[in-house]
Amino acid sequence: MTDVKGQATATATPVEKASGGVVATLFRFQSVFGLLAVFVAAIIFSPRRNGEILFLSADNLANVVRAVSEIGIIAVGMTFVILIGGIDLSVGAVLGLAAVGSAVLMVESDWGFLPSVVLVLAIGLVFGALQGMATAMIGIQSFIVTLAGLQIARGLARIWSDGQGVAIAYGDGPNEAPESFAILGERTFGGLVPIPVLIFAVVAIAAVVFLRISAFSRHLYAVGGNEKAARLSGVPVIRVKIAVFAICGLLASLAGIVHAVQLNQGSPNDGIGYELDAIAAVVIGGTSLAGGRGSVAGTIAGALLLGVLNNILALNNIDSNIQLLIKGLVIVAAAALQRLRPAS
Amino acid sequence: MKIHKLSLAVAAVTALVLAGCGTTSERTADGPQAQSSKECKGADGKYVIGMSQANVAEPYRQRMDDDIKTAAEEVPQFEVKFADAAQDNAKQVADVENYITQQIDLLIISPNEAKPLTAVVKKAYDKGIPVIVLDRKVEGDAYTGFIGGDNVQIGTEAGKYVAEKVLPDGGTVVELKGLAGATPQAERNQGFAAGIKANPKIKIVATASGDWLREKGQAQMDALLKANPKIDVVYAHNDPMAEGAYLAAKAVGREKEMKFIGIDALPIPSGGIKAVEQGRLTATFTYPTNGKEAIAAAKKILVDCGTIDKTQTLPTRLIDKANAAQIYADENPTG
Repeated sequence: MTDVKGQATATATPVEKASGGVVATLFRFQSVFGLLAVFVAAIIFSPRRNGEILFLSADNLANVVRAVSEIGIIAVGMTFVILIGGIDLSVGAVLGLAAVGSAVLMVESDWGFLPSVVLVLAIGLVFGALQGMATAMIGIQSFIVTLAGLQIARGLARIWSDGQGVAIAYGDGPNEAPESFAILGERTFGGLVPIPVLIFAVVAIAAVVFLRISAFSRHLYAVGGNEKAARLSGVPVIRVKIAVFAICGLLASLAGIVHAVQLNQGSPNDGIGYELDAIAAVVIGGTSLAGGRGSVAGTIAGALLLGVLNNILALNNIDSNIQLLIKGLVIVAAAALQRLRPAS
Repeated sequence: MKIHKLSLAVAAVTALVLAGCGTTSERTADGPQAQSSKECKGADGKYVIGMSQANVAEPYRQRMDDDIKTAAEEVPQFEVKFADAAQDNAKQVADVENYITQQIDLLIISPNEAKPLTAVVKKAYDKGIPVIVLDRKVEGDAYTGFIGGDNVQIGTEAGKYVAEKVLPDGGTVVELKGLAGATPQAERNQGFAAGIKANPKIKIVATASGDWLREKGQAQMDALLKANPKIDVVYAHNDPMAEGAYLAAKAVGREKEMKFIGIDALPIPSGGIKAVEQGRLTATFTYPTNGKEAIAAAKKILVDCGTIDKTQTLPTRLIDKANAAQIYADENPTG
């Protein structure tokens, strides 16, 4: 029963098609339509120079997706957590911890590129898994667990870095990061794709495909839809929860590595408030905070929508306080649309 | 339906990647000529200046923006845009990139931190956009000019003032430091130590970190007052912490026993100059916002087609009871 329910929200079944029809489809892809609307608006309101629409310039579009990438990577993990009805407030702090970790390991501890990245990713994974255990096995609400996790990760980052930003210099000598890491720091891959965008794209595709083909996906939606029913029908709820938080932690630390490389520095104060941007992307993407309903594709569209919005507001030099206001209204509008969505 | 959704996701991702692809071909196409394309149009031109501020949560930085705005209003050719990075390096990088997209004529930046902003400042500079760096530095030399105060010198002036004027016969000093790890904190500390050296009878009996904040300065001072029965001078690395310390001392009725010295001297109602005028602080030292000087430098580059010094250090000024009211009035001509 629960599996069927999970399926119904995960993909469109004939039942939903019949009942919801075109309207349901519109709501399902609200973030994609929203993204299109904001994109068109951005073209209309874009400043122009010598007839060129600045917003559409290739340089600018690259800036938009690059700026979105870190939040996008985090938001993919956040989508999983929110799909099971949880929340992860620790992702920004984990990003900071990972940024500090990669800088310290490579620059100060003289570790190689691969071991550093693997250890930093492992730290994120384990950190997430521990949070998953605390919420799944002890039964503390994930809001509380990850609120504590936020403080712990931030504290660890400050301790690890002595409270200071660790600059990343490249070279072969001591106190220099290996050149292989510098390749990641190059802003484009093979002169074509900005590195963070490439990583975001890989993460996004992997997540979408993963949700399509794995049995885990059905478990995910089942736990989010009705945890008790899921447990009764044999879904390994505890394992699912731990796995979801572990994935979220892993992706947050991946974003942290990207962050450090892009900025040539790991600072313990990196990523403050990023959890809220990620949650906003998920909500705009149409994922219900109650769990059980939503999609990674929606989140990606949501993150891009926020990125385009940020960019066009900045290109028009809208006052930063007004920018906050507008972004807040967009989030409320997205959530309101969710309430109007016909039940499946 | 299932396939439809998947293809949509793939399409979105492809769009992402394609957007990335477009970039470099464009970049390499117009790259080489970018350097030489800027010609000085002089007084007949219209110029858009982008100001990238690290954050406007600190009154000092808000004042910097205001000073730039006021000074730019005097130059009819200038239009200034402002961006607030809210203490986020990544946001500030994006802000500068947006300015580059807008093809601004000159960039003024007060970086949140040096290292993360260096690359994007260089990118702007390499595209032929003159860059004026304010207050905090970037690495390397890919910028047109740096304008800032000298924190070591300010600390030294404060130290000398204490050693020669306030405590010529010696005494005890409490030092309230700024945020650990911040360069101005280290420099104001180092300068002060050098400044009081001339008078060996002065002892720093305690130091504590107030993180630049009024409430933290107050909390730290609460503890220091309990621990130290005799304090002659409180030297705080900024005015808000000095004010916090004053409030803590006043709460236990000891504010008259000691003198409070701050740094920054912002000419705003909640700033240090007013605090000196109203007798809460004994003295403060100006840490110039450089807003006026930045616009003057911009005018020199764009309107006068001239060059500016690579580094311009602005002197500090002692503000005490004798000159506080006058300087406040001078800095706020409109009232």
